Amino acid sequence: MAVYKRTYKAYRGPLTPAWSRFTVLSRYGLATLFSSRPFTAYTVLCFLPFLIYLAYIYLVHSTAAQALLGVGRSMPFTVDNTLFLWFLRSVAPMGFVLAAWGGPGLITKDFANHSVQLYLSRPISRTEYLFGKISVLATLLSCITWIPALLLFFVNAALQGHGWLWENFWIAGSIMLSCLIWIALMSLISMAVAVWVKWRIAATALMLAVFFLLPPIGFVLDAILRTRWGSLLNFVHMVTLVWMHLFRVSATGRHAAGFDAVPLWSAWAMLLSVCAFCFWLLDNKLRAREVERA
Amino acid sequence: MPAVIEMQNLTVQLGNRTILDRLNGALSGRCIGLLGPNGSGKSTLINTLLGFYEPVAGAARIFEKEIQSNLRELRAMVGYMPESDAFIADMSGVSFVRYMAELSGLPRGEAMERAHEAFFYVGLGEARYRKLGTYSLGMKQLAKLAQAIAHGPRLVLLDEPTNGLDPEARVRMLQLVREIRDTGEVTVLISSHLLRDIEECCDQVLILKDGRIAALCNLEEERKANLKFLELEVTQGNGFLESVRGLGCECAAVGAGRVRIILPDNIDLRQIYRTAAEHTVQIRRMNYRRDSLEDIFLKAMAGNSMPPPPPLLPPPPGSANGRL
Repeated sequence: MAVYKRTYKAYRGPLTPAWSRFTVLSRYGLATLFSSRPFTAYTVLCFLPFLIYLAYIYLVHSTAAQALLGVGRSMPFTVDNTLFLWFLRSVAPMGFVLAAWGGPGLITKDFANHSVQLYLSRPISRTEYLFGKISVLATLLSCITWIPALLLFFVNAALQGHGWLWENFWIAGSIMLSCLIWIALMSLISMAVAVWVKWRIAATALMLAVFFLLPPIGFVLDAILRTRWGSLLNFVHMVTLVWMHLFRVSATGRHAAGFDAVPLWSAWAMLLSVCAFCFWLLDNKLRAREVERA
Repeated sequence: MPAVIEMQNLTVQLGNRTILDRLNGALSGRCIGLLGPNGSGKSTLINTLLGFYEPVAGAARIFEKEIQSNLRELRAMVGYMPESDAFIADMSGVSFVRYMAELSGLPRGEAMERAHEAFFYVGLGEARYRKLGTYSLGMKQLAKLAQAIAHGPRLVLLDEPTNGLDPEARVRMLQLVREIRDTGEVTVLISSHLLRDIEECCDQVLILKDGRIAALCNLEEERKANLKFLELEVTQGNGFLESVRGLGCECAAVGAGRVRIILPDNIDLRQIYRTAAEHTVQIRRMNYRRDSLEDIFLKAMAGNSMPPPPPLLPPPPGSANGRL
């Protein structure tokens, strides 16, 4: 179809591999998110914990830096599993804001513009469409969670030496698995609420409600029914419980009672159930065309 | 010509309602019109052809490939222009079309090139960097057409392409459809409730009524067949009708000096004039029967099956249609 001729001509050139089509969605999704300056600024801010922890690790291994800052040897400087758990617990809320801010808009915009039918009339399936959208969030959340966490791990391994890496290699696995659970939970909830309500503001509000309104409801249920199972509605609590297990950290102090409220298996079951419910919702609601059930 | 779309007992239900009911037929035109009143199942048929709805019974094939089992392959060959506004409002026109072309499998560079070309082709070249949200309705329709053809499909499905367009934009849109059709590289299927749009572009028409096929006809053949049917208004002349019959024509007097004639292939119109002159009969008026798409549509709506072949008996008095 030459411009000067302005005639229609079929395309007979090369095509991209079918498996790679979802990356087009991811690329355009990321470009859309980063076209917002506040969002870009906030994403940069999310790397602040990484820099702080990096500086901390350097401080632990540098006597010169300790002397410069006047920090005595009596200070309990250690880099162990607890430090990495704390790192994840510090970036997780920031990632939650990132997912609540950017996630629903990735899909609600398509519904608002009726463009889902255009995507799905192309050679991509609903699963690929969803995978493309989720991969946007997964990429962003990975960049602020497990990638910096593993960088910190390997930086510490390089500075520590003496076989620290092999003795603590399980921490790398814990980091990966913990982040995978959390990213899956954030991405799926974000997408599911977006597909369900199809309105960005409402979807963001619903996502906030899931994390901030359900825990008090669980607390009320506990009080009324005289049970402890209400804490299952506190997803943050459940994730923390699983993370503590993965990082082999025990709850101490005033929080210990809260973490003993429900067994570990129930936390896993709850998180898996939420993910399964999100999948069910996405499968039922993500359609090129709405069908009114008679 | 091989069938582009084939339907065999195609039945689609949405909820508990049967929207498409045992559709059978083969569509093989270069430009196929899909007609029917609101709720007749036109859009559902298009959505079924796109694989959005799965038939509960029967099957449909595009380019001899069963739809549900070859979705990815077929969608790469199909361009779709939906009826409703469907675009990303805060994206520039050319970025949007490039995005859609990339999703169809074109590499980045080629997608960008084709997006520019498609925009120039539909006549929006100057507006291609503007955001889609700022486009007028006519421009949006053209942008939707651009995204439907940018990846070079073999079949383009246009759902109500002239909806909401002013006369000038409508003419432009139909002109583009005819141009695309005439390249011979692509088959166009247009869904519309505007008979004139279909008549101007299409060579085959599928008329749906209550989810069933009310008529499936080849407009080209109808137009050719119309040239064989004559209606004359003549002064009374003894023996004229018999002589015309003697030429091998079928004819009938329908009163008030009006005569209807079917010309066989080997009979020239001059022979009718000659016969009239021989019988000193004046031909005061002569019309070709014009069985327009509107006639076909109204007949299809009145009945419940495909239109029968033209009857050779005179119609009852007062019949509005000019069939013999």
